[in-house]
Formats: sequence, C-alpha cells, structure tokens
Amino acid sequence: MKRVSFAVVGLALLAALVLSGCAVSPGPPAGEEVSTCVTCHSDKDLLQETASVVEEEVSEATSGEG
Amino acid sequence: MPPLEEWEKVYLKNTSFLEDAHGKVGCVICHGGDSSAGEKDDAHVGIIADPSEESCAICHSEITLLHETSLHATLSGFMSKLEARGGDLSEGSALDEAFNNHCQQCHTTCGQCHISRPDELGGGLISSHVIKATPSMQYNCVACHGARVGDEYLGNNTGIPADVHWTQETMTCARCHGQELHGTGEIASDRYSNTVSVKCEDCHADVLTDTAGNPQHEQHIGDLQCQVCHSVAYKNCYGCHVALDEEGLPCRTSEPSQLQFEIGYNPIQSADRPYKYVVLRHVPTCAGTCDYYGSNLMPDFDTVSTWKYATPHNIQLHTPQNESCNSCHGNEDLFLTEDDILAEEREANRGVIVIDIPDPQ
Repeated sequence: MKRVSFAVVGLALLAALVLSGCAVSPGPPAGEEVSTCVTCHSDKDLLQETASVVEEEVSEATSGEG
Repeated sequence: MPPLEEWEKVYLKNTSFLEDAHGKVGCVICHGGDSSAGEKDDAHVGIIADPSEESCAICHSEITLLHETSLHATLSGFMSKLEARGGDLSEGSALDEAFNNHCQQCHTTCGQCHISRPDELGGGLISSHVIKATPSMQYNCVACHGARVGDEYLGNNTGIPADVHWTQETMTCARCHGQELHGTGEIASDRYSNTVSVKCEDCHADVLTDTAGNPQHEQHIGDLQCQVCHSVAYKNCYGCHVALDEEGLPCRTSEPSQLQFEIGYNPIQSADRPYKYVVLRHVPTCAGTCDYYGSNLMPDFDTVSTWKYATPHNIQLHTPQNESCNSCHGNEDLFLTEDDILAEEREANRGVIVIDIPDPQ
C-alpha cells in the first residue's frame, strides 16, 4: 500500500512540474542552431551595424618586403 | 592585398555550405558559443573563431596528425636554421622571445588554408565558409608566399616573365605541392629534406630517360639542377632586422630586394639532389637580424651559408643562359663569386662560392 502511495505522489509531482513548464528542455531541434547563427551572419546590414572594430596591431615601423 | 572590413570577415554572402557535410553538423559543434541566445554578446560567449585542429580531427584525424609534423605547423624550417647558427631557442631565451614575436605568426591552421585568409593577412572568410579542399592560390598560398615565389610565378617582377606552368597550364600551387603541405609524420628541417618534396621529374620523367637529340640534357642531366638552365632572375632579400616599436608591436625592416640570378655549388648535395651546380637565393637574414633582443644571438652564423638552395618559380623553356653553350660557359656574371658576396658573409658562404667557372667551349 505504501509503495502505491509513493508512486501516486511521484506521478502527481511529475505532472505538476510538467504543467508548470519546468520540464527539462529537449534542446533545439536539429538545424536550429545553424539557422540562428546563419540568420545574423548572412545579414549584411546587421553585420555592418554590429561588427566590433578590432584595433589593428600592425607596426607602422615595418618596412621592406616580407 | 587589402584587408577585409571586420563585417566582411564573417559575412556569409551565400549559405550553400549548409548543404554539405560540414554545414549540416551545425555551427556550435565547431565554434562553440550559444546559438539559443538572442543577443550578440551572449551568443558569442566562449566562441572559437578558428576551431581548426581540434574540430577537424573529429573526422580528419589522419590528416591533422600528419599536419602536426608539417613545416606549416611546426615552423621547424625557421627553428632548424636558427639552431644551426648556434641560436638558443630554449624557453625564455632572448632568441625565443624574438622567435615568438616575429616568426610564430607564420604558423598556419586547417582553417587558414581551407576556409579563411591567413591571420597574418587579417583573416576573413574567402567563399562564405565554403570549405575548399584545395586552398585558394590567391587568398591562401600567395597571401603568405607572395613576395618571392608568388611574384615570380605570376610574372609580377618587372621584365621577368611568369612561370610557364602558370601561363600555359594555369597550374595552381596545389597541383605540385600536395601531400608535403600536410606533412609526412616526420618533422623535416626544411622543405628540401621533406621526404615527399616535389621534383620536376615527378611530371617530366622522360627528360631524364630520353635525352637523345638534346645535347644539353645529354651533357648536364644529374650535374645541373633543372633551374640552372630553366629559371630566370629571381628575388633576393637582404638585411632583415626585427624589433619592437615604441608601442611594443613587432616590426621589421629590410633592405630593398634585388633581382639576381646566381649559380653556385650545391649546399645540400644528396642522392636526391646530386647536382654540382644549383641556383642560390640569398636569405633575408643577416648576423644582426635579432640584435634588438641581444648581441650575438647566432654565434655560429658563419657555419650556414646565407645563399641557400633555391627553386625559383619562373620556369621557362628558353632562357638567356641556355641559348648556347657559351651563354653559360665562361660567363662569370651568372655565377656566385666572392665579389658578389658581402664581406661579412664570405666565410659563411665559402662552400657555395664558385671557384672554377666552366671554360668557354
């Protein structure tokens, strides 16, 4: 009887968790991560707007061929 | 080659690469980051711009393992020459600091040949992240090897024709330089000691076996390196000095290069390269190249010639020196003699200076 009670309580708690939106996320469907990155990286205007300017670390004292 | 704008470096003009095997695995598996984040900064936490070896090895371990031994990965070509001149490259030494500041950037990764421009040239995607099995000659090979080999091959030196392999067959670098670029599993001290180094006879085997009717070949095969007769003037560099500028950034200066053609004795004579005479190119290095970091950092400078075995990439069927026997025989201008060498470098080059110029016929 005790075991049945535990099982019923456990199932009830699980149902409550799922209904309250606390279920473990299954992760993004296959391909979603690609499209998320690609959406931004194929948007020329967005990239121009948001690209970080990286300081050029090339010395002006360099001369000659290399 | 002008650098790309920052946004261009990561711009996917087309997304066709998503259809191939590399595109289908998704971005995060190689580049990390958080593809579920809505903001740029959050999405880029932990991002790996150039995943290369670690990621490529998942599927291409047979290549990445070899690559670890390649000259592109180890830079052993630089190291072996510095050590041969008595240089101390142990961790923390003055020469080690110079090496890390000025030589280490020539290291290249999988991605810097197959996906993007090399870091040394500012990086940036070449064809919207298409993974090119054969690197771009323009944006990869010549991007780093442009000043000497690239300019010779493409005919960019005024008055000097381009290589016939380019003008007649449009052969790109990878047509000849294949496996050697990925290494062999053994660390070579330079590209000529690489066991899979390319040779002219790999394609032109008949030249060695069928010399009938070609008196020059009959007479000189095995004694002269092919380039002695079939290359023309090539670039020689002098007096490279490395330092840090006022802001602590690595910089270098060198004297103007010179277009010269110099035949000398073979400094690396072997069964594979038995020639007595070869063409020699002056290395940019001089005894004081690293003086900024300390004095006499190459104490045995004189033990290695500064005119090294060369394979100029401007091959021609007909050249000034192969017009007739006496175009070369007795023509002192073609040979590296003591007068051609800086006084302070004569001792280092004693073994390659020609002392018996062939007599006129």
